[in-house]
Amino acid sequence: MSGRKTLEGTLMKVNVDLRLKDIPGQLVGALEPISANDGNIRGVVHHHDDKVGGRIAVNVTFEIRSEQVLDKIMEVWKKREVDVAKIDAFFETYPIQYLIVGNIPTKELESITKALESMENVASIEVRYTGSANSSSRAALVTGKASKKEAIGSLDQFFKQRSDKHDYILIRGLD
Amino acid sequence: MKVVIAGFGTVGQGIAEVIGMRQELFTKSFGQPVRIVGAFDSISFVKSAKGLDPIELVERKTATGRVGTREVDGGIKEFIEEYDFDTLIETTPTNILDAEPGYTHIMAALNAGKNVVTSNKGPLALRFRELSKAATKNKVQLRYEAAVGGAMPIINLSRELLRGETIYSLRGILNGTCNFILNRMKDEGLPFEQALREAQEMGIAERDPSYDIDGVDSACKLAILANAIFGMDVTFNDVMRTGIRSITEDAIALAGEQKRVIRLIGEINNGRLEVSPRMVPNGHPLAVGGTLNIVQLITDLAGEITVIGRGAGRKETASALLSDLLAILSEEHAKGR
Repeated sequence: MSGRKTLEGTLMKVNVDLRLKDIPGQLVGALEPISANDGNIRGVVHHHDDKVGGRIAVNVTFEIRSEQVLDKIMEVWKKREVDVAKIDAFFETYPIQYLIVGNIPTKELESITKALESMENVASIEVRYTGSANSSSRAALVTGKASKKEAIGSLDQFFKQRSDKHDYILIRGLD
Repeated sequence: MKVVIAGFGTVGQGIAEVIGMRQELFTKSFGQPVRIVGAFDSISFVKSAKGLDPIELVERKTATGRVGTREVDGGIKEFIEEYDFDTLIETTPTNILDAEPGYTHIMAALNAGKNVVTSNKGPLALRFRELSKAATKNKVQLRYEAAVGGAMPIINLSRELLRGETIYSLRGILNGTCNFILNRMKDEGLPFEQALREAQEMGIAERDPSYDIDGVDSACKLAILANAIFGMDVTFNDVMRTGIRSITEDAIALAGEQKRVIRLIGEINNGRLEVSPRMVPNGHPLAVGGTLNIVQLITDLAGEITVIGRGAGRKETASALLSDLLAILSEEHAKGR
């Protein structure tokens, strides 16, 4: 049983090595499209001593909403003759890992899956289980990804309440 | 230094033997021997101002089941208060219902101006603040490294060597029996009951294992650590607790598919105290096997610190009691006593 959602709402983290012309206004010109696209600049390291082909190396770390936004920023950089030497981009996610053990009917597993799918900031979930529906010791593993750390707190609470109510043993993942 | 040993079971006998073995260390380092001037168990007691031979005490206990030649007929509290000695070594069994008789023994010693070294979790997990206040008020030391994690020096490490650190959180495996059972379930695919039986046959688990497998022992230790390291004012009853009784082979297998193992973890984080089974990644320090205990501290300057060691056993617990005894001797020596 699984439920998958897109990574919409998840922040994409980008780390890029730029090469800028050694003339005033170049750094501002490189950072401006990030801000203009609602990006969040987390760090800028200006390597004045590291000149390659007469250009200054600058490392920028920022967060944006989607790959489309990154494409827009790259387009502006191209027009402004900002060279991109290296780029790393990934969506930051937080692992979801819960194991419940007890008398868990299939209907309850479906209900858990549905509730998790509708939960804010849950990017993807997958539910795997063992044992028959009538077994008093069925084990079900819920894994997935959350797009925000706060979602883990909500999930902890959700599973705690559910386990208390239905008398399951809850086993949370440990980082 | 004159000491009295309260409780003469495995731990009491262990510290008696170690005191006998380390006389040269005491004399060389502090210019004085450590003399056992009294010892009692639940039915008998023995005393001698000149000092008792530790080997004789252990031999008599082994042969007769009694450490002393005289009957205990009440009056232990008065004995502790009135008898001339410096430090009480309290090793009676843990009682998590009312902390007795350990609490009465420790409180009587502290109020009589005597230092206390203990391995007894009950008084510390239920009445920690009262005991600490009595020690401060009477200007004596109360030390309890042996109460948590046997030979693993977590309390003294945190309170002495790491005293300049802010410790944000703590988590660890505080019960070797549970760790053994969970590990056997994973390695051999055994059901819980069979792994428990194996642990009982090997003497790792008690005949009544509920104290270990229901997380009571871990919760006691966690409460003591919360009070001692984080300055909290909590008891065993403040710890949220889930044991390992209901862990199935299926649960172990599902965790294994995620490259994780199940371990009974005690955690103190943001004022929250919890003992519960958790899925720990393979290769993580807390995925340790066997009967070992392990604690991880997260600190502001030193970052992550991990301590691992044997959590129980006659010599291991005696080692922790000895370190506390040496700390007291050291302080007394510094004061010129």
